[in-house]
Amino acid sequence: MPKHIVRIIFLIVAFLVIALIAKSYFTVDSFYQYGHYRGDSVAEIAAQEPVFQTPAYCVACHAERHAQWSANSHKSVICENCHGAAQGHPQNGKLPIPQDKVKLCTLCHEAMPGRPRTQPQIEVAKHSGGQQCTVCHNAHAPKITSAATKVVGSIAAGKQRSESCAGCHGAEGISGNDTWPSLAGQHPAYLARILGAYKSGAQKDVAMTPIAQALSDADVQNLAAYYGSLSCKAAASGSPAGDVAAGRDLAKNCAACHGETGIASNPAWPNLAGQKAGYLANALKAFKAGLRKDPTMAGASRSLSDTDIANLAAYYSAQVCTAATQGGNKR
Amino acid sequence: MNQETKPTLAARRAFLNKLGLAATCGGAVVGSLAGIPVVAAKTEPVSKGGTLPLKDYDWTKHQWSFGVDATKCIGCLRCVEACKVENNVVRDAHHFRTWVERYVYLEGENSARIDSQQDPVNIAASGSEAEYRFANRYQDAKVEKAFFVPKLCNHCEHPACVQVCPTGATYKTEDGVVLIDHEYCFGCRYCVQACPYGARFFNEEKGVTDKCTWCYHRITKGLQPACVDACPVGARIFGDLKDKQSPISLFIRNNRVQVLKPETGNAPNVYYVGIDKEVR
Repeated sequence: MPKHIVRIIFLIVAFLVIALIAKSYFTVDSFYQYGHYRGDSVAEIAAQEPVFQTPAYCVACHAERHAQWSANSHKSVICENCHGAAQGHPQNGKLPIPQDKVKLCTLCHEAMPGRPRTQPQIEVAKHSGGQQCTVCHNAHAPKITSAATKVVGSIAAGKQRSESCAGCHGAEGISGNDTWPSLAGQHPAYLARILGAYKSGAQKDVAMTPIAQALSDADVQNLAAYYGSLSCKAAASGSPAGDVAAGRDLAKNCAACHGETGIASNPAWPNLAGQKAGYLANALKAFKAGLRKDPTMAGASRSLSDTDIANLAAYYSAQVCTAATQGGNKR
Repeated sequence: MNQETKPTLAARRAFLNKLGLAATCGGAVVGSLAGIPVVAAKTEPVSKGGTLPLKDYDWTKHQWSFGVDATKCIGCLRCVEACKVENNVVRDAHHFRTWVERYVYLEGENSARIDSQQDPVNIAASGSEAEYRFANRYQDAKVEKAFFVPKLCNHCEHPACVQVCPTGATYKTEDGVVLIDHEYCFGCRYCVQACPYGARFFNEEKGVTDKCTWCYHRITKGLQPACVDACPVGARIFGDLKDKQSPISLFIRNNRVQVLKPETGNAPNVYYVGIDKEVR
């Protein structure tokens, strides 16, 4: 074989040998372990720690919130969608409570072409007048109960049964004491709902619970119908502790449900106009403390100070309950 | 001339024959010495029955797949936000592992107007390149039809991106996920070009290509991908095709599903419901 051919062959073989050695030197062991890639990289990628922890992680400490959230319509929105990823929480500090609720809520609820009809949507400009969503809606239980059940009681029978209530709530449903509510002219649907709640134990009160438990379902209906039929006009009750003008400003947040002057638009929600100031303040404090359970009111009362509560109570108790609310059940 | 060239040509042919023989022998020697397994096609993983890559997780027992129900999507972009946070994706308007497109047909127009969260109008509405929301830009327009379509890597059965990768930095796992080895990726971006779905992007900071992993670090721990967890309306469905009762198995069985660009032959693994021909 000619010399120059041998040289070429030798060169090729030498190149191949060097290439082979270089390849085995530079290729990591796990390459080709599972295929044409570095097998170790699979484990490396899988080793990354999850950042989103899911509600199953949050429930360990926030059981009460979790229970409310998981029983309501926002249960498909995980905690971390609004509060941020929970990795490192609580060790590294608190998670944020979103401040600009309108910006956050409208991400999903702004009426927009392309959103399915089943998605609850609002026209932002017309819906709230720029107020924060959480004034009326509890972010963890956003749906506001507006279903008023029709009251089908007998006024006469209710009047008869009401004798035992008169001691506290007054003979004509006008309470003689600042801490007990007047019932005259209240929406019957609301009265029936609250009496039912005392009866079932959903709402508790030292005085009311045993009384309500002794009532039959028919009694509840009759009493609600009777008190709803009464005139709520009453003499002004003393001078409350709060500031009426300051209360008027705060009451704008309540107007959507309770009306501007405390006449509720929906019979499921109570009128507040002319109600006893002491009772109103106590009720708000009870909502805030979670003793009275209502998701909307829990959210609405959360940020109220004791002074705010006194002012609100003063404002509503100073309002005139008009005859227009008489009888209820108009809607 | 002719007389002289003939013997030269014959000699050259003989030389080439010998060279070919030598190369063949040399190749055989080299092959046997190296013990390189014969890989039929590098897009198909070859299990050698050795130790599996992960503890407490057997990738031969899973075949992951993804579903998108566009009829449910509300375009809230919580999936995009969650993905960015979960995977530490660059917080700007140009790098997305998953994104949402909006298709709007106005009256009298034959084709859809398409935008996504990275459209300047939508960035202006969110107020920041690091926050994502769809601007209500069509609220006063005469909209005939509109819908949102979430998109992500299709984790194809025959991924073109894997085929073109010169270094073996991207590959398809046994359980059906296409991953990128950032140590072996040297940033040539062939895969970005090869992907028919635009699912890959280049991370200029790290000099590597990046894309959706179906949150491989979550699914191998029994969690759902972050976007699936974050979706408030159930528009994203994820699960194991080997489990006949998994959400994705039920989704594919109970719906008439389609995939994007089936004609490319990539055999994508993200199944869509509620999109029209304009979505590609």
